[in-house]
Amino acid sequence: MNDEQLDKSKILLVEDEENLALGLEYNLSEEGYKVTLARDGKEAIKFFDESDFDLIVLDIMLPYFNGFEIAKHIREKHPQMPILMLTARTQVEDRVKGLELGADDYLTKPFHLKELLLRIKGMLKRKSWYQKVVIENPIYRFGINEINFENLKCISGKKGFQLTSYEAMIMKYLIENKDKVVTRKELLENVWNMNPEIETRTVDNFIVRLRKYFEVDPSNPQYIVSVRSAGYMFQV
Amino acid sequence: MRRKHSFVYNLVIFILAQLVWLAVLLLWIYWYVSNNIIFEQVGEKIAPQIVYDAPSVFPFVGGIVLLTGLSVSLVLIFRHLNIQIKLNTLYDNFIANVTHELKSPLSSIQLYLETLNSRDVPEEKKKEFYVLMMRDAERLKNLVNSILEIASMDKKKFYKDFEVYKADETIKKIILESAEQFQLKESAIRFSGDAGCDILLDRNSIKTVFDNLVDNSIKYSIAPLEIMIKFKRNTKKTEIEFSDNGIGIPNEEIKKIFQKFHRIYDKDIPNVKGTGLGLYVVREIIKNHKGKIFAFSEGKGKGSKFKIELPIYTEKKKICKGKQKGF
Repeated sequence: MNDEQLDKSKILLVEDEENLALGLEYNLSEEGYKVTLARDGKEAIKFFDESDFDLIVLDIMLPYFNGFEIAKHIREKHPQMPILMLTARTQVEDRVKGLELGADDYLTKPFHLKELLLRIKGMLKRKSWYQKVVIENPIYRFGINEINFENLKCISGKKGFQLTSYEAMIMKYLIENKDKVVTRKELLENVWNMNPEIETRTVDNFIVRLRKYFEVDPSNPQYIVSVRSAGYMFQV
Repeated sequence: MRRKHSFVYNLVIFILAQLVWLAVLLLWIYWYVSNNIIFEQVGEKIAPQIVYDAPSVFPFVGGIVLLTGLSVSLVLIFRHLNIQIKLNTLYDNFIANVTHELKSPLSSIQLYLETLNSRDVPEEKKKEFYVLMMRDAERLKNLVNSILEIASMDKKKFYKDFEVYKADETIKKIILESAEQFQLKESAIRFSGDAGCDILLDRNSIKTVFDNLVDNSIKYSIAPLEIMIKFKRNTKKTEIEFSDNGIGIPNEEIKKIFQKFHRIYDKDIPNVKGTGLGLYVVREIIKNHKGKIFAFSEGKGKGSKFKIELPIYTEKKKICKGKQKGF
């Protein structure tokens, strides 16, 4: 998908602060996105269920259902939907909770307009990259594991489980670069779209989780191996 | 989780301290009794001719009283500590809420400024943005003011301007002003009854009272809002009943709603914004008017009712007016 097509992306904007919502709606429309504005949790879920979107911009403190609940609802129905959480809360727990429930990115208020627009663009790009790769080859098997990159359902031996969109994207990235060393920096830049200087631990945490899913002995990995002072490598 | 831990921690220390205290008490009694026996038995054998004066009861009883005093003060400290911990939790909530309330208008202002700076915004849109920004600035100003007001309330500094007003006329006017401020239609408010008396008011703070009540009614209602105001008069006080058709107050919350920083968290409550200060301020202002306020609700979904009682101003009290004014 090129930039032109990205411009026509449909965004569900969930924000109950009237003034902020209007400003965001104006800016996103100016960027060429098709914006649907939901002013509370109920509306958000209704709109999400009724039509298709490419990305959700989600506030946390909302009437009826909060952002976390909405994120959960969205994830259950659509595991790959990119969600950008916007919030005035800065506590680490909130951030962690948001990311755990499947938010793909997190921006604290007050934010810079440019940063918001860049992140949205980045997320939409990643989504289209991911979809393109997935359409070509939705199911990937290695060892006793099977990953379905379309619905993020996995089977490891007899165990079935569900990946989050992040976990899937990391796996996808590692598999795409099979037998090549992938640095933490690369993962952060390509999967998270994040400044690699800030959050290097995040990658390690995700890798630990992925090993628990797919490795027979997570402390002695066969597939997702560490490459000393370089990063990780996927091998079969 | 840290809070919970600190409560358990305190409780354990408290119980341990009580056990230590009990042990000391028992030791004390044991020491006294055994000494007494030794004195009686040994004393008689060694020097029966000395009129032996058994250890006086006074230090024994005194010791027990002192020890009990220690235990009581421990209990008091423990109770205070728990109140403090609870307050701390509330305060943290408050900070989170205030942060939210401050950041929302701020981010909106920043967004509009950046938009104006980076885009070619058409003239009429610009005007719209300015209005929105001014509204946000107003919101920030109100929030800062109410926080400052709380600070002065806590220090019991009420230097307000009390004056005599006609009860129904003035209150009616104040409520209509609040309604206008919140863009509520006049027809949404109905008045009935009459007080027909004079009351001593600080007009600005009573305005705050009704601002807060109207704001709450708007925030906590789903159907088109209706507010009913009923005036009543007793011999010594006038009653103003403020009721709405909002979502009401759950029974278990009624007692708590006037507490500082307290907020109701409920799924069905459509608005989550606020600082937890509104009704606290209301009660403090009414108290400062030597009045009382009560909240009623038949339960969730059945509307809320606030009854405000204010003392009627009579000529006799005129002498006190000077005092009241400086109150």
